[in-house]
Amino acid sequence: MNPIRLDRRQFIQGAGALALGAALRGRLGADPSEGVTLPFANGERELVAYPQKRPLIRLSARPPQLETPFGVFNNGAITPNDAFFVRYHLSGIPTEIDPATYRLRVRGAVDHPLELSLGELKQLGEPVEMVAVNQCSGNSRGFFVPRVPGGQLGNGAMGNARWTGIPLKKVLEKAGMNAGANQITFEGLDRPVLPGTPEFVKALEADHAMDGEVMLAYAMNGEDLPMLNGYPLRLIVPGCYGTYWVKHVSDITVLDHVFTGFWMASAYRIPDNPTHSVAPGETPKNTIPIGRLAVRSFFTSLRDGDRLSAGRETTLRGIAFDGGSGIRAVAVSADGGQTWADARLGDDLGRYSFREWTFPLRPAAGACEFKVRATTQAGETQPLEAGWNPSGYMRNVVESVRVEAV
Amino acid sequence: MTHTNPSIPRFRAGSILTALVPMAAILLCGARAKQITLPVETVFLTPSALPGYVYASGFCAPCHSADYMRYQPQTLSLAAWKAEVIKMRDKFGAPIPPEAVDPIADYLVKTYGAERNAPPPAKDAP
Repeated sequence: MNPIRLDRRQFIQGAGALALGAALRGRLGADPSEGVTLPFANGERELVAYPQKRPLIRLSARPPQLETPFGVFNNGAITPNDAFFVRYHLSGIPTEIDPATYRLRVRGAVDHPLELSLGELKQLGEPVEMVAVNQCSGNSRGFFVPRVPGGQLGNGAMGNARWTGIPLKKVLEKAGMNAGANQITFEGLDRPVLPGTPEFVKALEADHAMDGEVMLAYAMNGEDLPMLNGYPLRLIVPGCYGTYWVKHVSDITVLDHVFTGFWMASAYRIPDNPTHSVAPGETPKNTIPIGRLAVRSFFTSLRDGDRLSAGRETTLRGIAFDGGSGIRAVAVSADGGQTWADARLGDDLGRYSFREWTFPLRPAAGACEFKVRATTQAGETQPLEAGWNPSGYMRNVVESVRVEAV
Repeated sequence: MTHTNPSIPRFRAGSILTALVPMAAILLCGARAKQITLPVETVFLTPSALPGYVYASGFCAPCHSADYMRYQPQTLSLAAWKAEVIKMRDKFGAPIPPEAVDPIADYLVKTYGAERNAPPPAKDAP
């Protein structure tokens, strides 16, 4: 459309669409009846439709943090783009990006600093595709007992998508990463409000960055990334928590030393022990940066308080995932954990993906407690009792659902 | 909706300009630029006669919306809220003066935390 020849009819259509959009936003944003209650104290939340998103559970407005309603995970192993969770740290988020002028800079300990357009980036190699789970470090924080401060999330700060992009390795090779490289930092276009707030910069070990799997993705489920999920380029760190999946990534710096910025040295740290837990209320003595996803599994077809038909065959459904060894088995208990039987695993979309599972059963009349527990190819499994850490990270306890068959 | 629909209200000059400016910006900056408009905030700091309310409005609200406080566990103690205030000052660079730290923590614990049912202060609301 040519702006000079915008005629009255076109204008009214445009203005009408804007007005309709405003009306929709007002309805979804302001009406407290449009909400959900997460199953913990003080869990009332609004459902709000953001651009390119269906109504999602709003944890915060500025910066935006949106959680996926859990029912979405029962619709398939791939999370639709418009349902994918959103998590920003800083309120200066980009709301307008021109892909024609977007540049990715690579600097630091390299022979050839780069400033790549999206077109130049895509010419560095054949595009690769990978299905991978992105999960917020603090997913499920609201279930911690005792409760801990931080974003009070239910279980919906996770999603599984098919990512398309260029391996980070290709970019670092093109730049001529120096032999003495130690860590690589990543920063996107989001910015703090105050000059004293640390910019959101994350770091990976050089070896990890060069593993050929870490990716700069420009597509998600076959489409451009939604703006709020990092358009036009996002770092994909398969098997690792979402904190490393830097959105709108614009600056990559190769360091010959360990990065000491706030978001690595102070934030997103977990107790340095095998379970990454401490006794409730305790402060861990030694901490390390959070890393690989702990194995988890969920029921998606059942939630607490549901009713089943006694004596009638039904199929329980759910998902499982881990930090990249892959899911070996999912076991379900229908008697509160006394006995377990293997579920049937669904299609294998790759070792970083959600793995769907199904479990047919004929429930006996009465109340019962179902549990689900996944085991990875590496032999890791989920604890029956929840661990605790002061930041509310890495929850992966065996999930329980109490239902009644009548 | 079409231009022939009689139910379309007449647009005042102000709203025409309001609508045209972003449309023109999209067109002039190139058709390929991606632009979004964020929904409005709906959660605001709960007004209070406590002195910390004014400080919180000045030192917390510029950087983040009040749902950050509203949705915290209502079990958080005064010490926990004070730790948050100090973290915001020392780690996130909020320019909170020394005399504001305790009033902000007091307001937060009495509005959102473990002391939220504490009796209101004698002072009248501003």
